Amino acid sequence: MDNKKNSLTVKDCINIGVFAAFYIVIFFVTSFIGYIPIMLVVLSVLCGIVCGIPLMVFFSKAHVFGMVTIFGIIMGLFMLVMGRPWYSILTAVVAGVAADLWMKTGEYKSISKAVIGSGIFSLWMLGMIMPLYFGRDAYLLSVAEGYGEEFANTLEKITPGWSFVLLVVLTFVGGILGGLLGKAVLKKHFKKAGMA
Amino acid sequence: MIGINNVSYTYHVTDSEGKDIYREVLKDFSLKINKGELLVLTGGSGCGKTTIIRLINGLIPNYFEGKLEGCVTVDDMNISAQPIYETAAKVGTVFQNPKNQFFNVDTTSELAFAAENRGEDPKDIIKKIEKVCESFRLSDLMDRSMFNLSGGEKQRIACASIAVTDPDIVVLDEPTSNLDDKGIEDLRDILIKWKSQGKTIVIAEHRLYFLKELADRVLVLDGGKAVKELSGKEFDSLSLEETASLKIRAVDEVYKKKFGDEELRSLLKSNGTIDVKDLSFKYSDGVHGIRINDMALPKNSLVAIVGNNGRGKSTFARCLCGLNKKAKGTVDFEGKEIPLNKMTDRCFMVMQDVNHQLFTESVKDEIMLSIDSNDEETCEKKAKEAMEVLDIGSLSELHPMSLSGGQKQRVAIACAIASDKDIIILDEPTSGLDYYHMVEVAEVLKKLVKLGKTVVVITHDTELIDECAQCVVKLKKYLI
Amino acid sequence: MDFSIQTFKTGGERALLDPRTSILAIVVIGAIMMGGKLSGVEYVLRVISCMIPAVLLFVIKKYKTATVYFLFMAVTMILEGTAVQITSGSLNLVFVIISGVVSRFIPQFMMAYCFLSYTTVSEFIVSMEKMHAPSFITIPMSVMFRFFPTISEEGRCVMEAMKMRKTSKKKPSLTQKLEYELVPVMMQSVRISDELSQAAMTKGLGLDRKRTHICKVGFRLIDYVMIIVLLTCLALFIIY
Repeated sequence: MDNKKNSLTVKDCINIGVFAAFYIVIFFVTSFIGYIPIMLVVLSVLCGIVCGIPLMVFFSKAHVFGMVTIFGIIMGLFMLVMGRPWYSILTAVVAGVAADLWMKTGEYKSISKAVIGSGIFSLWMLGMIMPLYFGRDAYLLSVAEGYGEEFANTLEKITPGWSFVLLVVLTFVGGILGGLLGKAVLKKHFKKAGMA
Repeated sequence: MIGINNVSYTYHVTDSEGKDIYREVLKDFSLKINKGELLVLTGGSGCGKTTIIRLINGLIPNYFEGKLEGCVTVDDMNISAQPIYETAAKVGTVFQNPKNQFFNVDTTSELAFAAENRGEDPKDIIKKIEKVCESFRLSDLMDRSMFNLSGGEKQRIACASIAVTDPDIVVLDEPTSNLDDKGIEDLRDILIKWKSQGKTIVIAEHRLYFLKELADRVLVLDGGKAVKELSGKEFDSLSLEETASLKIRAVDEVYKKKFGDEELRSLLKSNGTIDVKDLSFKYSDGVHGIRINDMALPKNSLVAIVGNNGRGKSTFARCLCGLNKKAKGTVDFEGKEIPLNKMTDRCFMVMQDVNHQLFTESVKDEIMLSIDSNDEETCEKKAKEAMEVLDIGSLSELHPMSLSGGQKQRVAIACAIASDKDIIILDEPTSGLDYYHMVEVAEVLKKLVKLGKTVVVITHDTELIDECAQCVVKLKKYLI
Repeated sequence: MDFSIQTFKTGGERALLDPRTSILAIVVIGAIMMGGKLSGVEYVLRVISCMIPAVLLFVIKKYKTATVYFLFMAVTMILEGTAVQITSGSLNLVFVIISGVVSRFIPQFMMAYCFLSYTTVSEFIVSMEKMHAPSFITIPMSVMFRFFPTISEEGRCVMEAMKMRKTSKKKPSLTQKLEYELVPVMMQSVRISDELSQAAMTKGLGLDRKRTHICKVGFRLIDYVMIIVLLTCLALFIIY
């Protein structure tokens, strides 16, 4: 509705809050799997797919630079409090800004750019597994201490260095899949109902 | 003093295809509202009363997009040309839906909200809150979660939060749409208080009876123009025929027909009964609840369930429908004794907020979703039949969420018919509906009875009951 | 509605700890419990960290929760110290997962639960403003917290409506279930967001206006004590 305004309005802030709440609820429910360390690895992919739906609806409301960035910042802050590695704030802010800039190139009107934006934004979830790759030894050591040697060894074996790149790609793809899902929902429901 | 000077307004929206739609609502409209006056704007849906409200509180042009001609002034301030936060200092607004207008989670913060936004001194704000608390008698609502309040209580908090900033003008947009009898009474008390404080009040409303002996002037609108202006006295003395001819709701809250025990008994005898037995339910506070030893409802007829307490009525409906897991009891229906939790197979409830029960992307799919059959052909046939009864065949491919409130309701009722369930329960189907649409709903309900269904309507809409109900059951004696 | 998810407290006395202190506690406890080794100084730090929420729970008079939590953590910590190191194989895995998941995450959750129990949303937002968070961060956060209960309410209504539509026909697939649950709630959210924006604007909410607050937020003695304790633990944790 307010697409003509070029600055952030109160309505935009409220939209950010509403969709952040939604996104967090869905993310939270999906992410319960991630508390089991093994599943942490696939968590980012799964969440990327499921959370893509509310994310796309949010993207359809974004019309000015800053909205997606703020969304990312809020995600990061939330992760901080939820006990995910502090890398998460970093990745959340970076992913938020990146997705925002990307969508800006399409003047926030291009839905295909939004789908890719979903992929970019979903990369923030990698923050959760970063300690496994950056600062690897320290992390594995703490896992060994907390969960036992065997566990740490298994974890180490299934996550060789190059698997990080694989995860980045998979998360990105997961985000895109979520974006496509969201695009379908937008088209099937929101656009048809005149609410897009 | 409020002046609306030669205002024309056209809403600008984009539809599902991305096309621009322009909807002209007001054309060259002028109105002067005197200080301290209580003006009522009424008329059918789309007549422009809400638009006028939005012109006064500044939402047009600060929130809504469209073309505005002319100007709106409040005491020499040009509303249409100033930022909305300046208007907010002079004009307070109470909206229709109590659930969606509060910004804070707890009541005390909500009271302070508007004053905090203006940057007032916290000490002053606290004093003002105490004052308002006393005069509005809100002490038992302080420091509570907004989510635990009833609709009426939420609306009282909304009014109180405006009272804290004490604006000269208060506008209300259909504030009683979602309220029960008690809520409406409380609102009336608040209006009386505000009027005595000399505030200028503008209310857009369908429901008119609570404004009797309160309104100074009543304007009936149609298509963006005032078709009738009434003084307070003239308004108070409108008869039922006159309001019907003006297509507005009645001013008197009196039943035309008789709905006594005798009528109920003869109906029970002729139609057979549905017996609700040993229904017991307690709210989470452990104190209040519902206890029904034996309630007989006539089959294949239109029963209106009335009572002061909105919550109690809705709870009863949900118990009867089997949606309330904590309720115990049975229903004797067609010779079988059915436990309450199995009643979902027999009952279809059209909820007060229809949006909760529309899931699919086309009206037809929505109806097909309710049909209990695996055969494609039967489904098609049933869906078609249901749509015919409700006269919504033309809407078949449209998305349910793009329809108007009344149309959505008809889709929900079509689902009820298609589901072949015997009992259809409707929770406040006409709250917020104007006269014309209320009569439409009454006609539909009568059709349902003709189809052999038992229709139970939870309502406090006297006019609706008069139009179509065959008997009235009072819930008060069953509430604890 | 009888019940819905409440996040923060809703009024009453002033918060036990300044929200900033509470959040520092959550972060520090989290860091220590997550990464801590099970021996030596670190173990002591872990014990201290997981006891902080217990103490706070007692102070805010949630005795039952405090006792349950205390016993729970005691058992877990003992398990960690003994069973995990002794056993092996699948039994080890079981102990590992139970004690690992519990010990690493529960204390932090508990601290967050405490925080939510004695803090209101307003106090939280005010403390953020004191940290110079701009309004385009604090407004969305306020709205977010206000919206969690709404989502649960709407979700419940939708689920009830779905229950009534349950037909013996083909069972809806997982994606369909997801669609039927998510879409109506999202649409409602959009609608509610619109109405909320209108209401907020008519109440003078603006991005660049200075707001005042009636709730009192600031550091008191108890905050300083807690901060010192937390920072000391953190420092020791980093050193060792």
